[in-house]
Amino acid sequence: MLEVRDLSISFLTAQGRVQVTRQLNFSIAPGERLGVVGESGCGKTVTGLSVLRLLPERQALIEGQILMQGRDLAQLPETQMRAVRGRDIAMIFQEPMTALDPVFSVGEQIGEAYRAHFPVSRAEARERAIDALARVGIPLPARRHVEYPHQFSGGLRQRVMIAMALICEPKLLIADEPTTALDVTVQAQITDLLRDLSDRAGTALMFITHDLGVVAEVCTRMLTMYAGEIVEDAPVDAALLRPRHPYTSGLLRSLPRLAQRRQVLPSIRGRVPSPTEMPAGCRFRARCDHALPACDQAQSTHQLGTTPSDNHLTRCGRAADLVLPGVVG
Amino acid sequence: MNGLVNIPAAAVAPTPLLRVQDLQVRFNVRDSGETVKAIDGISFDVMAGETFGVIGESGSGKTTLGRALVSLLSPSAGSILHDGVDPRSLGAAALRQHRRDYQIIFQDPHAALNPRQRVLDSVCEPLEIAGGLTRGERELRALDALARVGIAPDYARRYPHMLSGGQKQRINIARVLTLRPRLIVCDEVVAALDVSIRGDVLNLFADLQREFGLTYVFITHDLSVVSHVSDRIAVTYLGRLMELGPTEAVGERPLHPYTEALMSADPVPLPSSMRPQRRIVLQGEIPSPVNPPSGCRFRTRCASAAPRCAAELPEWRELRPAHWVACHFATRDGPPPRAAMPAAPDAAL
Repeated sequence: MLEVRDLSISFLTAQGRVQVTRQLNFSIAPGERLGVVGESGCGKTVTGLSVLRLLPERQALIEGQILMQGRDLAQLPETQMRAVRGRDIAMIFQEPMTALDPVFSVGEQIGEAYRAHFPVSRAEARERAIDALARVGIPLPARRHVEYPHQFSGGLRQRVMIAMALICEPKLLIADEPTTALDVTVQAQITDLLRDLSDRAGTALMFITHDLGVVAEVCTRMLTMYAGEIVEDAPVDAALLRPRHPYTSGLLRSLPRLAQRRQVLPSIRGRVPSPTEMPAGCRFRARCDHALPACDQAQSTHQLGTTPSDNHLTRCGRAADLVLPGVVG
Repeated sequence: MNGLVNIPAAAVAPTPLLRVQDLQVRFNVRDSGETVKAIDGISFDVMAGETFGVIGESGSGKTTLGRALVSLLSPSAGSILHDGVDPRSLGAAALRQHRRDYQIIFQDPHAALNPRQRVLDSVCEPLEIAGGLTRGERELRALDALARVGIAPDYARRYPHMLSGGQKQRINIARVLTLRPRLIVCDEVVAALDVSIRGDVLNLFADLQREFGLTYVFITHDLSVVSHVSDRIAVTYLGRLMELGPTEAVGERPLHPYTEALMSADPVPLPSSMRPQRRIVLQGEIPSPVNPPSGCRFRTRCASAAPRCAAELPEWRELRPAHWVACHFATRDGPPPRAAMPAAPDAAL
């Protein structure tokens, strides 16, 4: 359904052009739930924004193709792009309060999202909005749709955002850290809701998060990003049990939950290279315990996918001879 | 409230490094005349050398608690004793001396450092305020502390914006170490850090504890972090303690329905086949601390709530050795069985 080919995003800055993602290739099938994980600065948010062309056009250069059901969104004129946003692909963000307009009631805002794509009366849009609020589990929707965002708690606001995003029944929902600002008990409510809605309506999900636990619970497939590249693309269970990239393995091993209490936590030494000084070859090389001299050759990791299995791709040149620990052993 | 908690009866009880007795902290809301009961009657002891974990959601009062523990906020009622001494009884000079021993590290490593100050100056500052050392001595001690947290000396001349989040948090730790404190309150100290760095910083805390015999109060919303570092865990909800006990017991065999729900809501990074099946999803969200529910604070979201829960504040009971709970119906086997409670959305509003 969505197919991203060789997507590279660069920003024009005062210091010149800085590439933030390089040749991303991935796809999302209808109804699939794809988790995109990685640490701050790895390019996961920018990737999500680029799919909807929400990056500032003057500063952000997008190369490559973003094919949504065969149409290249990267080439679409802005007017046509507007018809895609909210209708085919919708997005929710980490902080619902900044995404909602404080001076309109939530019902009006949700209804407006619907009216942007369907020629219906205000009254009908309101009915739809109330329905949408009910579907995301907001109590007393017929009463609460006239209330304003500040009258809702954090968890309910995120539900309002989900209602708004799903009102046009998009084929793909991009969720960028939608539960990071929420408490753990409320996070559980929202992740369950997203999974159920996606199951019921067949909405595909691109779930951007740093939390591997949330990915395990919500997603079917996991993309690991590092320093602007996808380093691993695999079914969630396979990625957790038998990661094929040392970075994914390192991330999983560093989770305190899996270690014995009070024992030394494994960690990944060093830090992410800055976008202006990206090394040729494997970008993880300097932090990798398995690096060989050959890893600094550009071609060593040029392609994503050096493993035998079709649905488990990795950008590690040593994938064939490494056995890396996952969440168990 | 039973007052003194968790002291094994048989032991010749040494003075706890920290003793919190029926602590209350209230804030007045400016316009409405309402009162926020941020901490509403909490008691516990922290013994020298232990790591005491405090877990809670936003609005549970855990940050207020941390600040009160190091005298950044004064109690509205109740008391906090530092090694038997009430800091409020000290004069200004004695208090300044006393404060060196009880320090706090905050969540946001960026906000805690002055962007216009070089790292070395920031690290020297607490010593400057404490007084008694020459500039040269202060710098030596600061460089020593920086080395101890793994910051190379050439970073000392840099400014905070030239450093990563993990490095900044290390510098905040160094800053506190210069004073050679006895107790450090760690308020969400790894929450702002990426996963791969988090482990390093947690390891550092553990090393420093071994080396300097430090006592930590580790405040966090992150169950995996608190379970990893703590000897004992206190579970807070709306300004009160729900449960307190040894880490393994609280994590694996909780007594309070809230703790049970909290543990089961935590997303576990395991393949579907290995994940525990039963998941308790709580309805609604934490109520406002301006108007907390009567009786048990948790009853509006509790699947086992009964009329008694609204009428009576649950007693603080030691159901297993050193394992305390505030729930009418908990037994030593665990929380009360959950009634098939219909969704009560109104309670959440």
